[in-house]
Amino acid sequence: MQTEATLAQSDVSEVDLVKRCQAGETEAFDELVTRYRTRVFGMIYNMVHSEQDAWDLAQESFLKAWKSIGRFRGQSSFYTWIYRIVMNVTIDWLRKRQVKGGGAEFDDAIQLREIDPASKTVPKTEALPHQAMERDEIRARIEKAIGQLSPEHRAVILMKEIDEMQYHEIAEALRCSIGTVMSRLFYARKKLQSLLRDVYENV
Amino acid sequence: MKTFEEKWTAWLDDQLSGHELSEFEASLPDKAAAQAEKAEARKLGELLKRELSARSLKNEEFFSHQLRERIVQESRGQRRERARRSPTSSWWTIPRLLWAGTAPLAVFLICTVFVLHQERPAEESQYLTQILNARVDPVVSPNATVSIFEVKQDRVTVLWTEGLQTLPADYAAK
Repeated sequence: MQTEATLAQSDVSEVDLVKRCQAGETEAFDELVTRYRTRVFGMIYNMVHSEQDAWDLAQESFLKAWKSIGRFRGQSSFYTWIYRIVMNVTIDWLRKRQVKGGGAEFDDAIQLREIDPASKTVPKTEALPHQAMERDEIRARIEKAIGQLSPEHRAVILMKEIDEMQYHEIAEALRCSIGTVMSRLFYARKKLQSLLRDVYENV
Repeated sequence: MKTFEEKWTAWLDDQLSGHELSEFEASLPDKAAAQAEKAEARKLGELLKRELSARSLKNEEFFSHQLRERIVQESRGQRRERARRSPTSSWWTIPRLLWAGTAPLAVFLICTVFVLHQERPAEESQYLTQILNARVDPVVSPNATVSIFEVKQDRVTVLWTEGLQTLPADYAAK
């Protein structure tokens, strides 16, 4: 977790980076990309459940951000602003895909091997094969459950639970009211509780 | 006015306080069941956080490299588009084109008015025309001469003829 001091420090340099981007400095934008690429990719991946699509959508989001950085006025943090672009790109993509595929956008075809067993939160000690398998199964269950939510409900629950964003930040990123965020959060939690109760009770 | 869903969410996330919190908790029909659900929501949040925040971006440097390439391509495309849209820098600017169009037109109009004014023929009567036609017949009047004296503002014309052998046949008719 960042302390308030480091947060303030990084905010100042972020403002500076944004100004340099607005002056057309691609190196400054590169620095912003380096800071946020993992979080942006992770968020998109949790929305679309495909590494290739998440990669493409993250590229698309950053490219859009570069094109419209001149319009960024600094009224919100850069992170909230980039999240707004990410959410627009991802939700649009999900909607189009739902229209094309008749809504079955997530099924058992999700490849478990896509999940990186060496990812950051995995304990340092090597997991036993049966433990790794169990973990993969749990992740697949979670992703399947999230896949049953609408793109907007997915976005809200992921921003709240994974990125620990505040209601007003989520509302800003999704361009909706705080009340709408809270209401979506209510229904998303209810749905996930009903789908994943046995998972979180037994883990 | 907050809806029940909003209040419930705020309560789960410990965002209610003071009067709002006590009022909401008092309105719950089964507080023990509500507390159990709150604990469940916490477990769900922890599960999601633990399992989903693990996703990392592989080949981070390649990701940035690819993005840089796309930005460069995009910038080149935009520059080309701007160059295509902007007018070519030649001698023919819009004011020059306008002058080049209007100046010859004005010269043409002035010349036309001047020439028409110079070449405007004097009014001739039908009679004079007939006499002059008759004069050109060398067989009928070989030594005939015709002179005209004319005062235009008084609309008077004196015709002096010599050596005419005959008058044109249609003269009497006039």
